[in-house]
Amino acid sequence: MLESRVIGQTAIVIAVFYAVVVVLGAAVAIAVWRSTRRRDPDADTELLARREKAWFVITVALLAGLLFATIFFTPYGKSAPSNAQVVQVQGFQFGWLIEPSSIRAGVPVEFQLRSRDANHAFAVYNADDVLLFQVQVVPERTQKYVYTFKKPGTYEVLCFEYCGLDHDLMRATLEATP
Amino acid sequence: MSDGIERARALTLRYLLASTVIFFAAGVLGLLLRTSQADLGRLHPNFFYAVMTAHGLGAFVGWAGFACMGLSLWVLASVGFPLRRLGSALAGAAFWLMLAGVAGILVTTLLLNFGGSWVFLYPLPFHPAGQWGDATTALFSASVLVVGLSIIAWCGCILHTVLSPALHAVRPTLPNQLGLALGFGYLAPRRFATNPTAVPYAVIPLTVIGIDMIIATLPLAVLLVIMIIESAAPGVTVDPLLAKNILWFFGHPVVYLLLFPAAAVYYLLIPRYAKRPLVAAKVVAIAWAIAVVANVLVWAHHVYLDYPSGTQSGINTAMQPITFALTIPSALSLYSLFMTVYRSRFEWTAASTGLFLGLVGWLLAGLSGVVNATIAFDVVVHNTLWIVGHFHHMALLNIGLAIFGATYAFLPELTGKALYSDRLGKWHIWLTFLFGTAAFALWLVQGLEGAPRRFAVLPERYDTLTQATVPLLIIVALAQLLFAWNIVQTLRGKGGRYTQAQAEPAGAPAA
Repeated sequence: MLESRVIGQTAIVIAVFYAVVVVLGAAVAIAVWRSTRRRDPDADTELLARREKAWFVITVALLAGLLFATIFFTPYGKSAPSNAQVVQVQGFQFGWLIEPSSIRAGVPVEFQLRSRDANHAFAVYNADDVLLFQVQVVPERTQKYVYTFKKPGTYEVLCFEYCGLDHDLMRATLEATP
Repeated sequence: MSDGIERARALTLRYLLASTVIFFAAGVLGLLLRTSQADLGRLHPNFFYAVMTAHGLGAFVGWAGFACMGLSLWVLASVGFPLRRLGSALAGAAFWLMLAGVAGILVTTLLLNFGGSWVFLYPLPFHPAGQWGDATTALFSASVLVVGLSIIAWCGCILHTVLSPALHAVRPTLPNQLGLALGFGYLAPRRFATNPTAVPYAVIPLTVIGIDMIIATLPLAVLLVIMIIESAAPGVTVDPLLAKNILWFFGHPVVYLLLFPAAAVYYLLIPRYAKRPLVAAKVVAIAWAIAVVANVLVWAHHVYLDYPSGTQSGINTAMQPITFALTIPSALSLYSLFMTVYRSRFEWTAASTGLFLGLVGWLLAGLSGVVNATIAFDVVVHNTLWIVGHFHHMALLNIGLAIFGATYAFLPELTGKALYSDRLGKWHIWLTFLFGTAAFALWLVQGLEGAPRRFAVLPERYDTLTQATVPLLIIVALAQLLFAWNIVQTLRGKGGRYTQAQAEPAGAPAA
């Protein structure tokens, strides 16, 4: 079913990463399960125990590798450039007030997000229903998030933080013009 | 049989039976949620969220947490740490507090309409959109507070039980005993000497969680007290972001209230079925030393997306490696446990099959957890059904299978009655594992498609997979009836009498 749907690039990376590690993990589990048929009472458990140190080093190395491979893709901490469009977003039970709701594609947008009541999260999808980004909207704070819409079109906004009765109806749209 | 073992036996049985009843109730609620999402009997939106709240807290704490708390008592007794009088009193108090807290949660959600979700993210409980009142919020907060007190009492019981003469410490001072219970004896055998036996591995994760849950629960208790006060005095408020941090400071370690006792169960029972000592080296102790610290720092990955800008976003960068660090105890434990099984004369019973498949669940769910911990990935899966798939995988197919396996293993020891049917137990375990894995995999896929969690009605584009999960979950639910029947028949003595000679002696082979 996955192939008939559109998912984002990062989601594809996650799917591939997870599929690979699941196959490897399942192979290990099956190998261990099958090994019990051999019933080898002389298996060198001392040696297996000593190899745990090597596994420790491998685990740390794999985690460090993943850390360095991904940490530079963290999409946060960006400052708005001087030409950024500013969009004020106010979340409330159960809707969004977005000013202006029309922006230009290709020009960075700095979203300034506030909440009137509970926690919300501002999640934006493109016309292919691909989740582009999300950011929490916390009461008593102004969150800032910079994003550049590459293509003109209509973008859908959902609330991603559960906020009560009509949370799932808390929707809006953004128009990106050429 | 010593009084301490008898005390542990009676309390463990009580915990196990009560938590199993809660498991069935919470499971029915979970099934209601998914059938409603699939438009097979749509619930009113607020009732959907009230059921979601009851299911979350009921299944996570009322079943899995409660069961793991009880199993820990029998694990300790089995490795030579019977309950002493104070420990027994604390375990007894924890039992009744948990029951009272869960009852309060069920009443406030299902009868009084509190639908704030299990994380009751402040200030949502005070913005009910006309669905519940402040008094209900106060009662719900008090109920969760009582659950927190239960956890603290249990931590006291665990620490009292492990910091005892059973450690066989050569220097029985409190710091030395604490170090021993944390496994330091494997790292510095002279400084942390024991005579004549080493500290059993199963003691280590229980000590870690006994310490950490006290640290993690106390701030939440303060938040809950403030929420109770705010219900009567609206001028008393809390900073929402601080409240969220406090919630997750508790909310993530509480996962380990389940996982670490499950690890202790594995450490005890896997060697028993493999008929060899746990394959473990000193690094296991290093891993748990990392865990005791990282466990109380790991909450921050739940608030990655709350700090998108400014210097605070830099905090996230530091939190990713800390979160990764908690992978290490899991990775080393899985190595030890799989290698203990490897080429052993493993005895494949319902209990040991549950434990082995639980290890597989631990591995697969741990790997999807690595995705959540990686910020560049988390921004895509945060708040989506991926997270729901991940933690159900962890809760039911790791911890749940460990609980089922331990139930099949321990119930005869606890009751003196043999298990009614091992074959029925295997059917239960395999159906749960296979169909649970399939259902949760679909949630992972839906998450990658951007399907949000906690939606009473999902956007139509997600309907196909939502409906596809329902038959899988119904089979998982029906499989639990086999579990129920097996327990009832065992308790009725239909499996015959259990004698110690039918099984390995209690306790793992010495390392």
